Amino acid sequence: MSKQAVVPSILDDDALDEALGEEYVQSGVTVTTYDKLIQSLDKVYNWGRRSSIWPLQFGLACCAIEFICTAASRFDLERFGAGLTRASPRQADVIIISGTVTKKMVPKIVRLYNQMAEPKYVISMGACATGGGPFKEGYNVVSGIDKYLPVDVFVPGCPPTPQAFLYGLMALQAKIDGQSIKDVPWYGKDSMPPSSEPVLGPDIILPEEIPVIREKLASKAAQPEEPVTGKKKHKPKPKIAAIPQEEKDRAAHAAELVNQALGAGTVEAKEHALVVPADRLLDVARLLRDRPETSLDYLANLTSVDYPDRFEVVYNLTSTKYQPDQELYVKTVADKDDPLVPSVVSVWAGADFQEREVWDMMGIRFAGHPNLKRILMWDGFAGFPLRKDYHEAYYENDTKPLPSRWPAGHHQFAEEHNPFGRNVIYPDNGDPATWKPPAESALIVDDRNLNRPGSLKTERIVVNLGPQHPSTHGVFQMQVAMEGETIVDLQPVMGYLHRNHEKIGERNLWLGNMPYTDRLDYICSMSNNLGYAVAVEKLLGVQVPERAEYIRVIMAELTRIVNHLWAIGFLLNDMGAFFTPALYAIEDRELILDFFEATAGSRMMCNYMRFGGVAHDIEDEWLPILHEMVSTRLKHTIDELDTYLTENEIVRVRAKGIGVLTPEMAINFSTSGPVLRASGVPYDVRRAHPYSIYDRFDFDIPTMPNGDVFDRYYQRILEARESLRILEQALDQLPEGPIMDKSPKWQTRVPAGEAYGRVENPKGELGFYVVSDGSANPYRYHVRAPSFINLTVLRELCKGHKVADAVTILGSIDIVLGEVDR
Amino acid sequence: MWIDLLIAIIKSVVIIALLLIGFAYMTYIERKVVAHMQSRIGPNRAGPLGLLQPLADGIKLLFKEDIVPARADRVVYWLAPTLSVVPAIITFAVIPIGAPITLFGRTIPLQLADINVALLYVLAASSLAVYGVVLAGWSSNNKFSLLGGLRASAQLISYELALGLSVIGVVMLAGSLSLADIVAAQRSLPYIVLQPIGFLIFGICAVAETKRAPFDLPEAEQELVAGFHTEYSGMKFTLFYMAEYIAMITMSAMTVTLFLGGWHGPFLSELLGPVWFSLKVLFLLFVFVWIRASWPRVRYDRLMGFGWKVLLPLGLLNVFLTAVGIVLMG
Repeated sequence: MSKQAVVPSILDDDALDEALGEEYVQSGVTVTTYDKLIQSLDKVYNWGRRSSIWPLQFGLACCAIEFICTAASRFDLERFGAGLTRASPRQADVIIISGTVTKKMVPKIVRLYNQMAEPKYVISMGACATGGGPFKEGYNVVSGIDKYLPVDVFVPGCPPTPQAFLYGLMALQAKIDGQSIKDVPWYGKDSMPPSSEPVLGPDIILPEEIPVIREKLASKAAQPEEPVTGKKKHKPKPKIAAIPQEEKDRAAHAAELVNQALGAGTVEAKEHALVVPADRLLDVARLLRDRPETSLDYLANLTSVDYPDRFEVVYNLTSTKYQPDQELYVKTVADKDDPLVPSVVSVWAGADFQEREVWDMMGIRFAGHPNLKRILMWDGFAGFPLRKDYHEAYYENDTKPLPSRWPAGHHQFAEEHNPFGRNVIYPDNGDPATWKPPAESALIVDDRNLNRPGSLKTERIVVNLGPQHPSTHGVFQMQVAMEGETIVDLQPVMGYLHRNHEKIGERNLWLGNMPYTDRLDYICSMSNNLGYAVAVEKLLGVQVPERAEYIRVIMAELTRIVNHLWAIGFLLNDMGAFFTPALYAIEDRELILDFFEATAGSRMMCNYMRFGGVAHDIEDEWLPILHEMVSTRLKHTIDELDTYLTENEIVRVRAKGIGVLTPEMAINFSTSGPVLRASGVPYDVRRAHPYSIYDRFDFDIPTMPNGDVFDRYYQRILEARESLRILEQALDQLPEGPIMDKSPKWQTRVPAGEAYGRVENPKGELGFYVVSDGSANPYRYHVRAPSFINLTVLRELCKGHKVADAVTILGSIDIVLGEVDR
Repeated sequence: MWIDLLIAIIKSVVIIALLLIGFAYMTYIERKVVAHMQSRIGPNRAGPLGLLQPLADGIKLLFKEDIVPARADRVVYWLAPTLSVVPAIITFAVIPIGAPITLFGRTIPLQLADINVALLYVLAASSLAVYGVVLAGWSSNNKFSLLGGLRASAQLISYELALGLSVIGVVMLAGSLSLADIVAAQRSLPYIVLQPIGFLIFGICAVAETKRAPFDLPEAEQELVAGFHTEYSGMKFTLFYMAEYIAMITMSAMTVTLFLGGWHGPFLSELLGPVWFSLKVLFLLFVFVWIRASWPRVRYDRLMGFGWKVLLPLGLLNVFLTAVGIVLMG
């Protein structure tokens, strides 16, 4: 083991001094026993590490789903010894940045990386993690994790298929093979300083960059504002979308009723909407909710629009009392300078998160809201992003196509325009050194009543479950205050995946939003497509051909089965099952994805529906396979889940009586989908507001009586069975014919107007509120995300339960963060 | 004298080596068996059939950075993994794995020490394991770890009571606390036939004592990330893993010894004792893995309720029934 060099005697002279010999050794000319030893040690060292790469159990967005699929039966990551995902960063070897990295999330990611033990690796999975991907221009999106962490392997794709991910893993193995224990940097003392953790100020700040920021801000203040590039387009006089007469009648009728009760002139009907002055809003809301003639007990959607002269807050109301097609648009106007509207949380509790979102995105304050804080962005963020005058760091032009890319055809990187070289923008006034992370240390859970006298002297602790946690289904956080194991209070914290869907959507062309809807609820891209198509078709007034309608229903119902299988599998995981039910569910999901891939061209991000039809026809050879799948295989799988899970003693004990949601609460909190129906409310958009051709099929709306976790679980089994019924009928009746209305257009001009289109997505009511000014881009594009609104009730459901129940309750609500945060 | 000492040393080394190999391959077996239960393949790249997977994991973990959190209690943090692995190993000392063999005219019992209070020793040693877990949870200065440690202390202590009660029936039947005597008493009939309730309680408690699914609350991934060992990395983390798997082996061996006739088999017990013993232990280990792959986790308060309100009274009832039985049968 001596380090003595075996130096070839080039000179027969002693002049070849030791220094030269040493140099030979170092430059590798001379091979010593020490080198040989290192070589053989390296072999073992590298083989051990390459065969045992444990990933951190951590997923950001859509890519994480493909990562899970890679670990599932068909691809089985475990073959490489890389299947032991560890939930604690201390025990993981590789962190897979699987999805869009947001500014709100990046400090946490860097912290996770710093918590990992060396040697550690980073795989950047997918377009978003690598460079921002489709969300690059967003105000909350980081254009590439490599700006914050040393990335070892980039895997391209959106999302990368499991095969691509496996290839990425092999690339990492190859990299490990090339390392030598002699010169890896991590064994020396202080040789690997921790990556610096960015902080959240008015925008994201790297602490070491503060002097540069200060300098650039100063020089920017000295220079005059650059004129905005891009010519103002000449707008042709827009076509106006026709408003259905019954919608106008409904508004007029409601106005009459309200004016009768509250005095003439209180409200007025304008086109299809009821316009209410802000000071009478609460009275009108209570009246509309409580009067049996209207019984608009369900606040489906709440959003706002920024018009040049005013803000409008829009409420979409409907009734769960099963008066078909009962819906009403209610609007309130808010002042441009100091927008203030009364909060309707006391009337419809489901307004809670939606009002916070409006405050966060558009800066409209809601008087009387119990907890009006930013919900998607962090407290301290500068600006209200959805206002039309808010320009993000990579802003180029109001609408696409952007002048830098079209029609001249050349492309410029957005980084080159930005003075800081990354996706950041700072307010001109203010000292960067004093920008501090505001919400980080603040306790969101209210603990004023700590240690109540008289009770057992126990100390309350606050635990943050998430945003990296095995059972938060993505980057979601629950701040839990616990007494022992019992939950005293719980606050959901979201926005870690807020990738500015709506802001980007208002710049895109109408059709250009279609692939973005894929990435909302990334388990259910097909039915998201359908929702968006339905909403825009309301304004366009196009006729969808028969065959396309059938194909749409087939796709949407297959998606529902995919989603429910996934939800049930992962609910069991949340109860502590070791992946088995989930993997069996994923096995069947893969079969359906095969069909999607064959038809639409992509497994997950199908981008399949078009305004007036679908993009591709179903290949004939797939029809018998589909028949067989629907009539045998899927039926069998659902029965199997039912048999093995429903009667399981532990499942019943863990799920019965946990997180009970009463029907009144379910309606008042605007929950939708299986969560609502499991509480015994038979409200299903497919029946209440029929769209597509759902009125032709024979199917039931199953409900469950108790509204606990078990009922929400079993509700999904029942619904999957109903979907199979619809599928059987649709496949049998599938007509021949065209799949598109006229010729497909990529640049659709949508007649001016507004529409709220809704579909029954697997997770609940997915609504798209779109406003068109007659141009090629949406003026307002709002997504009513079922997962987001269903979360409003989480806090109420979890109180008083054990911490393990919070996890199952969250699992039974079935959220997807792409949709919660958008 | 010297030769006795030498034999003891050799036996200790063999036992420790076997347990360590057993631990390594238990992880492999678990990953493989679970994989096949989930219609996957499991490790197959490291060596033929993935047989070298444990070795690769071991090498990697050995070279992994050893992190001590900044505000951890360093001494206790260092001590905790050791405290959990040692009791798991020393318990095995009193378990007979075969009939005594005769070598060079000396009769050598196939167990390290045949002490007359072996059963008490086993219970005592396994009680010590709780310290490692609790101290790990406390010293890490992490809320998840702390909760895991708290859960572990409550769970392990509660289930120890029922565990202790469940073996009293066996002791009454065998009339001895020596494991060799208990095995000898089962020559014709394993005690599972006479003590079905005792076996059931012991089996459930064994799962709870080893913190295995569905009672793996101290490290409940979905709730507590990694529970008491959340902050541990590298070899210290491996030691916790080792403790868990060796405890599984030891508990299976104890179940075999107390209820399944020990090393006795249907034929050639004297000669094939260790083989029978290993087969039975392997089967029980398979059951451990099988349960893990199939069942969700019990909730903490239900677990405690089950231990105190069901298993403990049932254990007492079993003692009573056994006593009545012995009196009636003579």
